[in-house]
Amino acid sequence: MLVALLVACIATSQAEDSYLAVTASGSGQLACSIATPVRLEGGENAEVAREIADALSFDLTLSGLFQVAAGDPERGGIRQGDFSFAPWKMAGAKLLVKSGFSVTAPDRLTVELRLYDVLQEKLLASKRFTGSSKEARKMAHAFSDEILRIMTGEAGPFTGKIAFVSKRSGNKEIYLMDYDGRNVQQLTKNRSINLNPDFFPNGRELIYTTYKNRNPDLYRREITTGAEAKVSAQRGLNVTAAVAPSGDRIALAMSKDGHSQLYLITPQGKQLARLTNSPALEVSPAWSPDGKRIAFVSDRLGRPQIFVMDADGTNVRRLTTSGSYNVEPRWAPKGGRIAYCRQMGGGFQIFVMNSDGGESSQLTSEGSNEHPRWSPDGRFITFSSKRGWKEGLYVMRADGTGQTKVSRSGGSDTHPVWSP
Amino acid sequence: MRTSMTTLFAAFCCTMMMVAGCAKQEMVKQESPPIETAVVVPPQPKPTPPPVKEEPAPPPVIKEKITTTEEISTLNEDPAASKQFQTIYFGFDAITLSETARDTLAKNAVALKKNKGLKVQIQGHCDERGSDAYNLALGEKRAKSAYDYLVTLGAPANQLYVISYGKERPADTGHDEAAWAKNRRDDFVVLK
Repeated sequence: MLVALLVACIATSQAEDSYLAVTASGSGQLACSIATPVRLEGGENAEVAREIADALSFDLTLSGLFQVAAGDPERGGIRQGDFSFAPWKMAGAKLLVKSGFSVTAPDRLTVELRLYDVLQEKLLASKRFTGSSKEARKMAHAFSDEILRIMTGEAGPFTGKIAFVSKRSGNKEIYLMDYDGRNVQQLTKNRSINLNPDFFPNGRELIYTTYKNRNPDLYRREITTGAEAKVSAQRGLNVTAAVAPSGDRIALAMSKDGHSQLYLITPQGKQLARLTNSPALEVSPAWSPDGKRIAFVSDRLGRPQIFVMDADGTNVRRLTTSGSYNVEPRWAPKGGRIAYCRQMGGGFQIFVMNSDGGESSQLTSEGSNEHPRWSPDGRFITFSSKRGWKEGLYVMRADGTGQTKVSRSGGSDTHPVWSP
Repeated sequence: MRTSMTTLFAAFCCTMMMVAGCAKQEMVKQESPPIETAVVVPPQPKPTPPPVKEEPAPPPVIKEKITTTEEISTLNEDPAASKQFQTIYFGFDAITLSETARDTLAKNAVALKKNKGLKVQIQGHCDERGSDAYNLALGEKRAKSAYDYLVTLGAPANQLYVISYGKERPADTGHDEAAWAKNRRDDFVVLK
């Protein structure tokens, strides 16, 4: 009975699509206090405590669902009965995140996190993680994912990573970082030009275009081992490749037959189909979440505009009708929306429209903003921005609010992709 | 509208509290302490089977007779030898050859015919204003325009290679008309 009721509750909350939209207006945010993480066993560790609190606060603030507050009206334990709800109630908190950590060996960290409903004085969720002391933030992100799952029925994307292109070494290389900009790791080190990373659905491999062999070729790389395989090295362009949601096909632009057209290949490079056959330049294929359609950029009517076709190349239709230069379509993982970029006033701005081209709205306006990519849950968009000539990677909510810079380098970072 | 949204949200919050209630009750059923243990990660990446083969990659199965670019992949740019070829420039968003560009290409064709066996890469470039993806296609088209014209002038096609750098390698890193005009170009680079 209890289990059935629980399932029913979650099903109801999943159906409630308007929740994020309502709270994003700013009026309906739940007051959520994050208690200072306390030491449970072992030695004090100020850095671990700080990282846990910081990561929780960063995630929950970005979600837009909560009015996040720090500061402790009481300093009891983290388990029910070890502290009093009253001071938190007095402070106006509706939700409370308590956490504790134990550094039991030099590199052995255990973190216990608990989410409470302050008014009902009820435990909503609890998790314990064990790992290395460098993983304090990762554990906090995992609990943030869980908090969103409890509150909305769908987990957050905060344990995800972002692959991107950075020129911080002097050349454009592919990098990987946590979604909040931490733990930056350089993947390619070939000192040529590397572009357009895209993940396979398993999150373990990515594809990217590299000039390391004097031609923009498509490569595939396993992230942890660095093992690489050449996917497509046709003479000319092998660019703007996008892995299908099923992972068994790649759409890309190639110029082997004369000029940039769209093709379908296997992850091993075998050509499956030529998708477009026009005298125009065509780039940037973007898969619909069901893999049945592909949005793309074509200048067949003069300037680049966004079109859509079936995944076999038939039924081509124009999507963007306003603005003279619309590029970089990216289909949301759900909800039938497509993010894209429009050239405006010497730069670009990110827009979003329905997948039939209707109801377009502008999400960014400061500086120049490009390369929108959705988080796997569709709640957020990561993008690259030039604000004051400095490029950086940002994340924002799907409605354009909460724009937050996450990259920390002074070098120019572009083409962020959120891991599955 | 606002009122109905608020009502909706309030209703939703109630649902949330119900979820909360459910969740808690279920937790209480378990023996205390009610901790769901989840072990996060061994230090770094999970050990995964390496699905990507090490080199050599499976050769792409291609029906067309297009050759890959492996024949030039190990060559280097020779700036000194490249000086005998002149850069050509394009108008904004243009791929057509101006009269000046055609005159320059005629000279480049003569130099090519004089140097049998010289491998020359025509590198198409764009200014920074377009999107980088579209500029890759545009730069390719610019390089192709020069390639086609050189071949009609009798330059040996088998000595010529086409590549687009889009807006990745500007000649002038400025952000004004003068810089953009210098960046919309085809460079002719000797590979050795």
